[in-house]
Order: sequence, then C-alpha cells, then structure tokens
Amino acid sequence: MPAPNWRTVGELLADSDELARETLLDATPDHAPAMVRSWNQLVRSAAELWAVLPSAPYGPSELDPMERLRPVGDAIGRSVTAGHWPGQGPTDERLIQIADNLSRARHMVEPHSRPAQQASPEKQHDIQDLHGHVMHTVYVAAHGTAVALGAHVTDLQHRLAAGERRRQPLAERPTALEITAAQDMIARFDGFEQLAGAYLFGLPPTSTNPDQVIEAAPATRLETALAAWEVQAHRTLANNPDPADLVRVARVQALITSTTSVLTEAAARKGHIDNDIMQRLAPVLEASQVAWSRAAKRWGELTNPTSRTDPALVGAAREVRAAIAAAATNPTGWATPDQLASRLDLPKTVKTLHLSMVASIEIAYVVRDTAADHPGLTAPARIIGMRSQGEAEIAIEQGETRYEGVTWTTPPQVAANQLIPLPEPARRGLINLADDVIATTNHAVAAAAQLDPSDSVQRTKPPAEPAAGRPRAIHGSISRFEPPGGPRR
Amino acid sequence: MSEQRMDADTAETVAGVVRLLRRAAELVWAAVDADGAGSPRQVLGLGIDLAADEARNLLPDAIPVDGPVPVGDETAGLLRSAEQLLRRVTTPGAGAGLLGLREQVADLVWEANTGAGA
Repeated sequence: MPAPNWRTVGELLADSDELARETLLDATPDHAPAMVRSWNQLVRSAAELWAVLPSAPYGPSELDPMERLRPVGDAIGRSVTAGHWPGQGPTDERLIQIADNLSRARHMVEPHSRPAQQASPEKQHDIQDLHGHVMHTVYVAAHGTAVALGAHVTDLQHRLAAGERRRQPLAERPTALEITAAQDMIARFDGFEQLAGAYLFGLPPTSTNPDQVIEAAPATRLETALAAWEVQAHRTLANNPDPADLVRVARVQALITSTTSVLTEAAARKGHIDNDIMQRLAPVLEASQVAWSRAAKRWGELTNPTSRTDPALVGAAREVRAAIAAAATNPTGWATPDQLASRLDLPKTVKTLHLSMVASIEIAYVVRDTAADHPGLTAPARIIGMRSQGEAEIAIEQGETRYEGVTWTTPPQVAANQLIPLPEPARRGLINLADDVIATTNHAVAAAAQLDPSDSVQRTKPPAEPAAGRPRAIHGSISRFEPPGGPRR
Repeated sequence: MSEQRMDADTAETVAGVVRLLRRAAELVWAAVDADGAGSPRQVLGLGIDLAADEARNLLPDAIPVDGPVPVGDETAGLLRSAEQLLRRVTTPGAGAGLLGLREQVADLVWEANTGAGA
C-alpha cells in the first residue's frame, strides 16, 4: 500500500532509510532473488533524485558518486533481464517501496531545484545531509541484499547436500551453477556497497554519519581519471560494444592492476603496509593483471581492420594512461618507491587504487555478460575457427558431447577470412577468461581486506576481521564509519 | 569518425598510419608478454593502441584500413614512420584531430626511444 502523499522529503528519506535497515533485520534466504530483481529500480530512483538535488561537494574524486553507482545498478538489471540468475520473477516490496519513496521525493524537489552555490551555509549543510541520506539508504540496502544473498547461498548449499544425501531427484535439488551465480551476485553487491561507502566515508559529519572523520586531501588526477574510467567503461559496454572496446577495457584494467601492485609495494617499502599482507597481496595482484591481459589478447582475436573503439572510451583511457604515467613512472620504467613517496600521498592513493580494484570486479562481470549475450559478436573465420576448435576439444574432454564432430567454419569462409558469428565454444572461452579475471580479482580484494595503509604503523587498536567469505577492500575506512543502526554483519 | 571532410590522399595516408601504429602496438604487447606480469611497457603499448584508435576514428567508414602489414620489427622505427606520414598531411588548415594525433605520435616516438619501451 503506497504511503500517503503528504509526507515531506525528509520523511520520505527517513522512511526509505528505515526500510533499508529492515532489509537487514529480515535478510532471509527467500528474499534474496526478489531483492536482486528490484535493485536496478531502486538505484535508478536514487540516481534520479540525486540528479535534482542541488549539487554538493563530492568525494575525493570530484566525480558525481552516483554516476559511478548507476551503471553498476544498470548492469545488474541487464543481467537479470537477459535471463541470468535470478531471472524473471517477483520483486521485493521493501526495495520497491524505497524506490517509490525516492521517486516521490524527486517529484517534490525537482520544481525547487537550484544550484547549491546560491544557498546559505546552513542550507548547504542540509543539502549535504540530503545526499548523505540518499547514499546511506542505498548503502544499507546493498548491504541488506548482500546479507540476504549470503543466507540464500547457505540455504542452497544445505539443500543441495541434503538432496544428495536423500537421493532426491536432480530436478528437486538446487544446482551448483545456481549456487555459483548467487555467490557471484554477492561479490557484485559487495562492490556496490563499498563504492557507496567510499562516498559516505568522505563526507563531513551529518545526521546520518555523525561520527565521521573528514578525510582531508585534494582531488588528484589519478583518482579522477580512475573514477571517470569506470563510468565510461560501463557506458561503452552497455551500448553494443565492438570487440576493440573490450580489448581496450581489458588493457586499461591490466595497467591499473600493475599500477596498484607497484604503488602498494612502494607503500609497504615505506612502512605504510605490513610486509606479510604485501606478501599475500603481490601474487594475487599479479594473477589479476595476467588474467586481464589474457582476456585482452583473446578479445583482440575478434577484431578486424575495420574495428573502431568508442571515442569516449579512448578519451577516458588516455586520461588514465596519462595520470598513471605522471604519477607512477620515470623515464626508465616504474618510478622508485622514493620517487612515488615524494609525488603521492601513498596511503591515500593505494586506498583509491584498491577501491578501483573493487569496482573492476563489476566491469569483469559486464565483460562476461557481453561474451555470453552480445548477439552481434563476429570474428574473422580463420582465427576464430581454430580458437573454437581448441575450446571445443577442451569442452569435449570435460564431457561436453554437443561439440563432437561439429565444424565451426566452412572452406569458403576460411578462404575469404569472412567475419562470421562467434561460435559457441569461442564464446565459452571468453566467458572462462572473464571468470578467471573475476576469481583472481576477488582473491586480490580478499587479500587486501586487512589492508589499511593509513594506520598500519601507528595502529592503536587491532584490525577487525572481515566477515567470513565477504571480501573487503577498504576495511579501515569501513571500520571508522559506523552509522547509528547502520550495517552490522 | 571524421570530424571534417578528408581528401582521398590524406585518408590513404592516415590508413597507413593506422597500420603502422597497429603493428608497433603488436610488437610492444609481445614484449610485454615476454617481460611477464607488471611490465612497465604496458604504458607505451596502451599509448600506441589509443593513438591507433584515434587515427582509425578520424577515417570515414568508406576508407579501407586493411592492407599490407608494415615491414619492420622495431617499435620506435614504426612510430617514426607514422609520425613522418602525419607530418605530410598536417599542413596548415589540417583538422585539430590530425594535429593532435601527430603530437601524440611524436610523444610516443620519444617514449619508445627513451622510456621503458626502448
């Protein structure tokens, strides 16, 4: 039942926050699929309200933080619409009610919307409070959804084990694939939650986060470039991308991962990060970089001389490259730890890069969805014929019988090296490579969970352990922000 | 996409630049693979890729980009050739896209000669 219309914007936001908190209190396994289905609607409403609120100072990246979140919500929505888990079905009443509240608030605010610069200091504070309320609601709802998903996965695992014990018919048991898909969705919501949290951590104290410590530091070129890159990568991938776009995305992500590795190691050498954490982190960052590079090479096989890269993606990539070159290289290669320490606030920059790593997991999911669903993927017949055959042989060895005796190209196609629709085994190869990226990057995020370069040396209290199975990249910041009644695991 | 009408000679020259840049990028990425994870040459490789993208996007669809693979297995030499070709077509009045591209490629020649890409 929709609430009456006489509520004020403040009351609508307070009700939304309350509903988001309720999702945490009542995060039962059954709710999770419906919550995932409702997620995009909630994020859209939040972004539309955010857009009509007078602009407020953003986080360290100076990029509208909602610009960073909306593509993630859209990507989850597209994935569900395309039939991936949890597929079509009922939506979640509470999340839809939050979306409805936020839409109503937008209709009330929109006619009075004006730039924040014209507002008094008191009004400015109120504006920031409104932004904080909206982001906090989204943050808590993402957390609630992730918790419900965690319960859902546990329930599926339990039912699968029980079904096997009782020898139930296969059709009555959950599948391992379903469990993996739900686990993947947890990682996506974790990433979303951490991106929303990153904005909240940078806010001055408001009624939603009264204990927040202001993080002082000017925006840097690298931070801005990374945030803009994430948004542009999502935009390009959402709009019928060319394989050349996928190559560029993967190459940039590989470079960002290498830069993360170099700067994290420099921070460790300078005593900002414990060496044992660095020893765990270094190999997994390397694995993530290698996985992105492999994906880039494989997508490169799909390009042809006429391929074009989205000019906006090229622009965003150019800025990331220039920012990395200026911050982290010297004329002979990577800058030395001393050079890096003199140029950058290492602890802060490392945090930014690790947050970018969290966001890159979502980009990898979209790359995987593109490999699975993009109907227009084509490739030159010669190379893709060989690639398809190789992938088919691997699949046959693993028990796949559908590929036996199938040929993937015709002699005329090979002779002319025609562009042909991507055969299924070649798609499968691309999906597997994206899965490698997701897995290795998740490992890196998990290894960075205890990393808080800002206080590892002068730590006054022991670090809290991350929740089991729930990777955290910016653990230190999260531990400092404990909104009243906010997320608790 | 082309920001202004491009004459056939210029278009053919830019198509040649695309091929040179793509070949140079191939060589750098092969070197990156040989270096192993974390190679600093990625910065140069990405720079060349992006210059090739921009050159490609200057050309109208009707202009064929495929053609013979440029001879040479030295990155800096290929980049120098691309820069020299661009010098021919960046006459006064050339579009900002072409001028910007030439500047970018000149920077890449410098990077390839002096930086980690050397």
